Amino acid sequence: MANETVVPAAVRQDSRRETIAFLTGVAGWLVPGLGHALLRMWGRAVMCFLTVGVLVILGAGMRGNVFSSSGNDAFDTLGFLADLGTGTFYLAARSLEANGADVSHAGGDYGTRFLATAGVLNLLAALHAYEAARGRKA
Amino acid sequence: MNAGMEFKLSHLQSMLLFALLISIAFGFLSRRRPMDRVKYIVWSLLLFLLIGVGIGWAMYPFSH
Repeated sequence: MANETVVPAAVRQDSRRETIAFLTGVAGWLVPGLGHALLRMWGRAVMCFLTVGVLVILGAGMRGNVFSSSGNDAFDTLGFLADLGTGTFYLAARSLEANGADVSHAGGDYGTRFLATAGVLNLLAALHAYEAARGRKA
Repeated sequence: MNAGMEFKLSHLQSMLLFALLISIAFGFLSRRRPMDRVKYIVWSLLLFLLIGVGIGWAMYPFSH
């Protein structure tokens, strides 16, 4: 009888921990560094915020391509998914790039890569925060 | 953004900035102790630059 009451409690605790870890990951995706900040990993939180932020500002400032959801081909869609990885910074990139993209010179091409890298890096950081919240990595 | 705030960076400056930022991010994410982070960042940065310049020179003959 004792086991019947203990096991569901443990399962419930695991489920709760999984939910918190998932929300931590989502928070880390939406605002770069927030996932780690919620886990009190301040150094990593500041690093994520600054790195992703600087990459987005540089990418938009160099007039890189900020992809939209209405892409023409698979590469545009992949670019959009990568850019979307920056979470709310995607909106900042769109507003920063008021003059539109200009990939006719090398700077614009670099800018496109900076923006995509910022997104993928933020997804990696969010996944790291999720794993850390589950207690599997620190 | 107005035209005055646009960044105009050379290939080398772009590569250096990219390598530095990614190395710092990887160092912080993958290592916990400060000394390990510094070592990782320096190694990663050197490899980024070495491989980047190496690939650049490897492509040089095809540009002519």
